[in-house]
Order: sequence, then structure tokens, then C-alpha cells
Amino acid sequence: MRKWLKIIAQTGFFVIVSILMNILVEWLDIAIPGSIIGMFLVFFLLQMKWIRLEWIDAGASFLLAELLLFFIPPSVGIISYQNLMLHEGFQIFIVIAFGTAIVMAASGLLAQRIAKRKEHSQS
Amino acid sequence: MIGGILGFFITIFLYLIAKRLYRYKPILLFSPLLFTPVALVFLILGTHTAYEAYNAGGKWLAYMLQPATIAFAVPLYKHFPLLKKHASQIVVSVTAGSAVAVVSSALLALLMHVDKQVMFSLIPRSITTPIAMNVSEMIGGVPSITAVLVLITGLLGSVIGPYIISYLRIQDDIARGVLLGTSAHGAGTSKAFEIGSLTGTVSSISMILAALVTQLVTTIVV
Repeated sequence: MRKWLKIIAQTGFFVIVSILMNILVEWLDIAIPGSIIGMFLVFFLLQMKWIRLEWIDAGASFLLAELLLFFIPPSVGIISYQNLMLHEGFQIFIVIAFGTAIVMAASGLLAQRIAKRKEHSQS
Repeated sequence: MIGGILGFFITIFLYLIAKRLYRYKPILLFSPLLFTPVALVFLILGTHTAYEAYNAGGKWLAYMLQPATIAFAVPLYKHFPLLKKHASQIVVSVTAGSAVAVVSSALLALLMHVDKQVMFSLIPRSITTPIAMNVSEMIGGVPSITAVLVLITGLLGSVIGPYIISYLRIQDDIARGVLLGTSAHGAGTSKAFEIGSLTGTVSSISMILAALVTQLVTTIVV
């Protein structure tokens, strides 16, 4: 019970930061989402030791562990595009499947090559 | 209102079932990101519920993506010294990967004769939903279609990611994180955290970086 109260309170902290950041973004009229700015802000506060890790660690772990849950309602939105999926679904699937594999190969192989070269130059 | 509250709890309930099933038997069908939406789609169509009625409750869960994005600050903070050490490796490969994502989406869409509007909606598909929708609108796509395509990308990416990692023999933890975060945003990052805490953190950094790079380039080009 205590553990859950802690998680709920700490999750609440992240919700409040996100609300405040959305207000800020709207006020400044910039194209970067409030949540990204919020992430940098919380990181900065941690680095400066203005907030301590144990104050928010349990809430952050909870949010990140259940991340997939938050993706589900928007993905159900696919039913609003039944016609599109019926007519172009296969092509779209091919584009996404091959495109994703290409991006993975490109970014993964490049990152691995850079890592190996670094290792090499150090030894 | 009733539909919304019901939708909210049924989503959580089905998600918990999928999670338990997946832990018991880790096959694709039981993956929470596949099992839950498919079960919900059948349920919504079967009961002739409007998506809007379901989403009146569902949107509160979707809203939690924003605090969850902020929560990435914690692993970022925990692994910061290591990330700093590998900063150039991450920045270079994520930037290259994001360029490949945009170009490959456009070329494949042209090749497959996909409708123009769908093509523009496909272009930002590998970055995190809120920024992808933003970019989609700027280049003439349909943000809500982009949201769905982003989700399909995440689902597919978290499924094929492990195979590609083993097929290409990507053994470096940093490279694995870059691969998953650049190609499959939050869903890929969730998979990356299954591999390890460092891989997950690199993936979340890559996801954020990919989104920022794509947004920045679009803002300059458009």
C-alpha cells in the first residue's frame, strides 16, 4: 500500500510537470512538444541536485514499465481508417516493414562500426 | 461517458491479461501492443461502439505518454556519464538513421504507388507520436493517420528488431539502443529496456534525438 501511494504521488509529479510544460509551450508558441522540454527540465533539476533521484525514481520506473499501455488507445484509432487499410493496407505494411528494417540496418551498423573504430584507436 | 469509463478499464484489463499471457508464453500474438488493440478493435466493432465513445476514456491513457516521456529524464540522468562518453557515436548514427527513415519511407511509398497524402503521413512514421503528428501536419500529411502509422511502425519494429540485431550481429549495447530507438521510437525503447538498462537508455536518447532532428530539418526545409 505504501509503495503504491509513493508511485501514485511520484507519477502525479510527472503529470503536473507535463501540464505546466504544455501551458508554457502554448504561451511561447513553439513547435517542440512540452513533454520533451519537460524531460530536459527534470534532467536539469536532477543534475543540479535541486530534486533528488529517490523523490521521483519509483514513479518514473512505473511510467516507463507500463509505456506500452499508453500506446494502445491511439492504435485502436486504426478502425477509423478501415477503408484506407482495406485499399492500401498491404502497400502501407510493405513500406513500413521494409522501411523499418532499412533504418535498423543503417543506424545499427553505423553505430557498431563507430564503436569498433573507437576501440581500435584506443588500443 | 459510460462507454468512455468502460473503455478505460477494459483497456487496462486486457493489457494486464496480455502482459500475463506474454510472460507465460512470449509469442508475438500475446505481445501487449498487438493483443490488446486487436482484442479492443473486435470488441468495439462487435458491440457497434463508436471509436470516439471508446476514446473518451482511452485518451486519458494516451495522455500518460506525455508524463512518461518526461520520466525518461531519470534513466538519462542515471546513465549520463556513459552517454557523454559515447555522444558522437550516438549523434552521428541517429542523424544518419533519421535521414534514411525519411528517404526510405518516401521512396518505398512512391514505389508501392501509395496515395500522396498517405505518403506524407508515412514520412515521419519512425519518430515519437506527438512530434510525428506535428511534422506530418507541416508537410501536408494527415496527423491522425500518422499516429496510426507510427504505432504500426513501433509494433513491427519491436517484433523484427531482435531478429535484425541477431542477423546483423549487433553486439554493442550502444548500437542496439540506437537501432531500436531510431527506428521504432517508444515501442522500440520498451523492447530495448528488455535487453538491458543501458540499451534502453541509449534507445530513449536515440528516440528523442531522432524526433528533434526530424522536427528541426522539417522546420528548416518547409
